[in-house]
Amino acid sequence: MFSQEKARKIITPLTYLKCLACSTINSRPFRDGDYIFKEVEEKCPKCGSDKMKIVGIYVKEEAKKRSKSRL
Amino acid sequence: MVFLGDALSMLSLSQIGGQQDIFSVLLNLIWFLFIIIFFLYPTFSQKLQLSYILRDLERRLYRIKSIRDEVRGRTLEALRRYSDGSVKLDEELDKLLHSFAIPPESMDPYGIVYKLEHIVNLWEDTFEENVRTICSRADRERVKTLTNLVEVARGIDYLYRLIRHYYLLGKKTSNIYIVLQVQMLMPQLMEIAEAYRQACYAFMHGQPVGDGVGVLAAAKLVEGLEKKTYEVAKNTIVHETMIDGRKVFVLRAAGPGGAVGKPADGILKILETEKDKVKAIVMIDAGLKLEGEETGKVVEGIGAAIGGIGVDKFKIEEIAKKMKIPLYAFVIYQSIGEAITPMRESIAKAADEVVEKVRKLIADKIEEGFSVIVAGIGNTIGIGLS
Repeated sequence: MFSQEKARKIITPLTYLKCLACSTINSRPFRDGDYIFKEVEEKCPKCGSDKMKIVGIYVKEEAKKRSKSRL
Repeated sequence: MVFLGDALSMLSLSQIGGQQDIFSVLLNLIWFLFIIIFFLYPTFSQKLQLSYILRDLERRLYRIKSIRDEVRGRTLEALRRYSDGSVKLDEELDKLLHSFAIPPESMDPYGIVYKLEHIVNLWEDTFEENVRTICSRADRERVKTLTNLVEVARGIDYLYRLIRHYYLLGKKTSNIYIVLQVQMLMPQLMEIAEAYRQACYAFMHGQPVGDGVGVLAAAKLVEGLEKKTYEVAKNTIVHETMIDGRKVFVLRAAGPGGAVGKPADGILKILETEKDKVKAIVMIDAGLKLEGEETGKVVEGIGAAIGGIGVDKFKIEEIAKKMKIPLYAFVIYQSIGEAITPMRESIAKAADEVVEKVRKLIADKIEEGFSVIVAGIGNTIGIGLS
């Protein structure tokens, strides 16, 4: 039951934006129209600049659990 | 009060079972009945197994059908958004889902690659043209992405119809060997079906998929460098730049719409002008990992790292052999599901690792003043120009 529920979940990636003024990278959920290397007018939470560039769109992975198997 | 008749029948039952307990007697009787059935009807166990497998297949087939319907519904929804309402979307989508291309005759294999290329090019162009007709309000990039989405819907639709065919055939002919083979493949097929479901959402929203890592690495290689960019083949662009005194031609499909381009045609065009100045062709692509291997692992090798029907691979190998140009390959491991679903962090991070490795290879293998072609292979959906 749990695995079925898990399988039905839709994977939503995060969009990683780099501030063109202070180079800070922050993320937010993906929005339609986002693509890698796109320059967007969004406010940097650190310096307040409104020029950002999308540097990555990917699904964040949880830290891998150590497998008991030694194979 | 116990009647004589009852007592006698109880006695005879006890004698059969050899015990006094009525339940044990009944159990023994059932066993005895089964032994008789198995003796008189030797295929009974097989029939029992067949019905169990069919029930199991039916349950899973129903799940695949629900995925097929979900993907179809989402595809219709996306097409409707860009349609002007002049076409019957349901009918047009069904036409696309059932469209096919007939591969060329291979009895005489001479020249088959170019015949196959002709058929596939024609089919791809027709498919895209049909999507463009349905979605008249979509721009060029969106049409490419929608074409990819319809291809995903076509993939899951065919998978469903194929499994249903074997299920019904096995049921009709009571052939356990047909249904057994399908049942054995079902775990992998369910995984593929689920990957199609996730892929549908990725293509609907234009999200980068795992297969695009080759393109991403190529884009990152030239990011921030001074370069000349132009279209070299259909849906294929090249960035001409200098890295440490070497002329580098970085080839990739044009994005951010979903496309794979024509890498072989692009490489041939570059070689036509650069001739023997090109000292290596470096190819970066996503590769299928084996179970137990790490996703996002970067491995190096020799040869043309490109999938598909084989036309591009053939052309690249042919020209490389003719001009004696070494082919270097970088492959980023991932599963089939990860290749068509939104890009995972480990795959995205692998692109940076590949960039470093390619830079090192160029510095080590190519002398200053010579050229190298770097081809990023894969679907460019969600990856713009750097």
